[in-house]
Amino acid sequence: MSTSRDARGQFAAVAKLRWQLFVNSLRTLRGRMELVSRVVVGLGFAGVGFGGAFALGSAALFFASQEHWEWLAALLWPVFLFWQLFPVMATAFTENFDSSNLLRFPLTYGTFFILRVAYGSLDPATALGCLWLMGIAVGIGLARPGLVPWAAIVLLAFAILNILIGRTVFAWVERWLARRRTREILGILFFLVILSIQFIVPLANHFNRGERTAMVRVVVEFLPVERLLPPGLAAAAIARAAQENFSSALASLLLLIAYGMAIAGLLHLRLRAQYRGENLGETSARSVVPRGKSVVRAGWGIPGVPPPVAAIVEKEFRYLSRSGPMLFTLMMPSVVLLIFRFTPSSSGNPDAFLTRAPDLAFPVGAAYALLVLSNLVYNNFGADGAGVQFYFAAPVRFYQVQLAKNLTHGAVLALEAALVWMSVCLIFRPPSVGVTLATLSGILFALLVNLAVGNLLSVNSPKKIDFGTFGRQRASNTTVFASFGVQLVVFGLAAVVLLAARAYGRIWLATLLYLGLGVIAFVVYTVVLSRAEKEALANRETLIAELSRT
Amino acid sequence: MTAAAISTEHLSRRFGELFAVEDVELRVSAGQFFGFLGPNGAGKSTTIKMLTGLLAPTSGRIEILGLELAQNSVEVKRQIGVVPEGMALFGRLTGGEYLNFAGRMYGLDRDTAAKRAGELLEFMQLADQPKTLITDYSHGMQKKLALAAAVIHNPKILFLDEPFEGVDAIASGTLKAMLQRMIAHGATIFLTSHVLEIVERLCSHIAIIHRGKLVAQGSIEELRAGVEAQAGDAIGGNTGGAPGEKLTLEEIFLRIVGSARPGDGELAWLG
Repeated sequence: MSTSRDARGQFAAVAKLRWQLFVNSLRTLRGRMELVSRVVVGLGFAGVGFGGAFALGSAALFFASQEHWEWLAALLWPVFLFWQLFPVMATAFTENFDSSNLLRFPLTYGTFFILRVAYGSLDPATALGCLWLMGIAVGIGLARPGLVPWAAIVLLAFAILNILIGRTVFAWVERWLARRRTREILGILFFLVILSIQFIVPLANHFNRGERTAMVRVVVEFLPVERLLPPGLAAAAIARAAQENFSSALASLLLLIAYGMAIAGLLHLRLRAQYRGENLGETSARSVVPRGKSVVRAGWGIPGVPPPVAAIVEKEFRYLSRSGPMLFTLMMPSVVLLIFRFTPSSSGNPDAFLTRAPDLAFPVGAAYALLVLSNLVYNNFGADGAGVQFYFAAPVRFYQVQLAKNLTHGAVLALEAALVWMSVCLIFRPPSVGVTLATLSGILFALLVNLAVGNLLSVNSPKKIDFGTFGRQRASNTTVFASFGVQLVVFGLAAVVLLAARAYGRIWLATLLYLGLGVIAFVVYTVVLSRAEKEALANRETLIAELSRT
Repeated sequence: MTAAAISTEHLSRRFGELFAVEDVELRVSAGQFFGFLGPNGAGKSTTIKMLTGLLAPTSGRIEILGLELAQNSVEVKRQIGVVPEGMALFGRLTGGEYLNFAGRMYGLDRDTAAKRAGELLEFMQLADQPKTLITDYSHGMQKKLALAAAVIHNPKILFLDEPFEGVDAIASGTLKAMLQRMIAHGATIFLTSHVLEIVERLCSHIAIIHRGKLVAQGSIEELRAGVEAQAGDAIGGNTGGAPGEKLTLEEIFLRIVGSARPGDGELAWLG
């Protein structure tokens, strides 16, 4: 009795804590900006949520009224995939839970388990998933009102299962990410999986030109398996009940619940270990490295670059070279070009868009290369953590620190652009000199704008990057929102200029315009660089506190 | 009178309505081993952050080696070394890489930075793990590395914020050996610490800050004499210590800041 009263008090205390943290965050300008960003992002999510619920509900109504009950699986699969993949793909919008702070309190394991599941479930993926399932339930209810209670039970079980899977994946992946080596292996695996998914359709179509049989064959082969997986089981449970085959419906639901229990068991293994005091911090995963004598080699000397700037450039490259996933993302632009090469256009033309317009391959690849870099550019102190204090304590002007970081990012982009150019030569055809020059000047303009905005956001809205955790934000909402806006404007402008010049057959015009814009962007960049230094000095206390946070 | 290595005039820092540091007038002579003491939240870290350029004062003036910090921050930073509260390490570098980086940031040429980095790693007994990343170092190893980075350019003044916190006896011995070596060579050291025994053993001069205000400053002997004189005036010559025994720094500290012990009626439910 007293335990359950304790638990209620603890749930209330954690809820109050979250609320208090939110209210306290509004005391700062940064906190208020975050709130505005969250409201805007929230409105976007609400639109997607309600729009999706309406679309899925309408589809469910159509399938139910046409007695195509099995087709419900086609609605539940996208919900399932979104629910599981979105939090992984968009960690900026995902809240994960650092349980270590709570463990010192007398929580029972049950309370801890519920807190972990409930806290981590308050994210957009869960909200949207639930909204969409409600839409499907309403659609079914309109077609067959008598089926609503059963459909609600099945969809509720499906929702709980989704929440449990999400929490389990996060808990286990966090465990693996705690070790640097497994973190890098996992990053590479993740990259390969994402890559493989992208290639399924293009390859299937490539080897079956003019026919859709390959995809159909894949789907047909997959169907028996699909029926045994959660979305298929949930759809089958509703479909069988609609067809009055109640024993089969019940069996499907029970199997769905069995899945839930198995997943909960896996989650239990992880949470139990955490509850017993396992620490997933970076230092707990101390790696065994061979001992030996230290020989310190002289650092890099870069001609024409002041020594402190060269030292920071070297440090940045060392950081990058120790991030396996980051290195892999450098290959992404070339991979994207391959995908474009094999993906047919939606208009039914078997030739891909870039196959029909190969002169656009280099601009597209180079633009993508810049997008890949934006994670680094918009939060350029995130990986430094408490080390940022060093920049304030050392005899170096802060603009030199940002300049060094910008030089590194510029060098990485140059390397990527060269890789993309070679890939375009191999996959499509060598881009003309005109297109190459236009692209390089366009990228230079876009890079300068990104660096200017990135420098300001990096000192005003920093976010510590914790390599040992999963699902904790890698950039603030303000940064994500602002960078999205900047990319929209910059790439929109660049695309309009390029397409207009191409349409008039005067590609050199684009080069000229980009160079003109580049000069303006350079002036803005230099002004912002000195402005960012002033802001960094004015905000140094917040910057240090945010990045030193443990 | 010896030239001041560090001096402040009316140094204040306000956070909203709260004065974390108020009207502090510090004077540290060159070559002193100076201990800056105070209870938790008294303003020690805030002061050291202001003295090293990590935090801007709300008002007042700071002079380091005769240069005004606000006007000459880069020149001043070139001549000082800092181990701040969070140690300012870059976790994904190795110890050697970090020291090399720090040396070059402080203006050493590439070869000198590499040579000194190697020697410091040896001295700090960190040289046998050349490939270990700093993030995998123990707390004591990180403290030693942070100190090594702070001295790589042979600073004239060294600022240390709680250098002995969380450090074992072996690492603490290494740190002390390095600090005493620096003092012997004429450097000035300014440190904050809660370990009063260590401060008493190492420091020649002390300042005590309490609720943001400087309440005592001088050599340990001067502070002791002051406390004893005050106690003598107040209670007829009884200083509270055993006859013939000198007051320890802890006793001096507690007399100055006042040890607010709870009355018997408070927390009656406890124990």
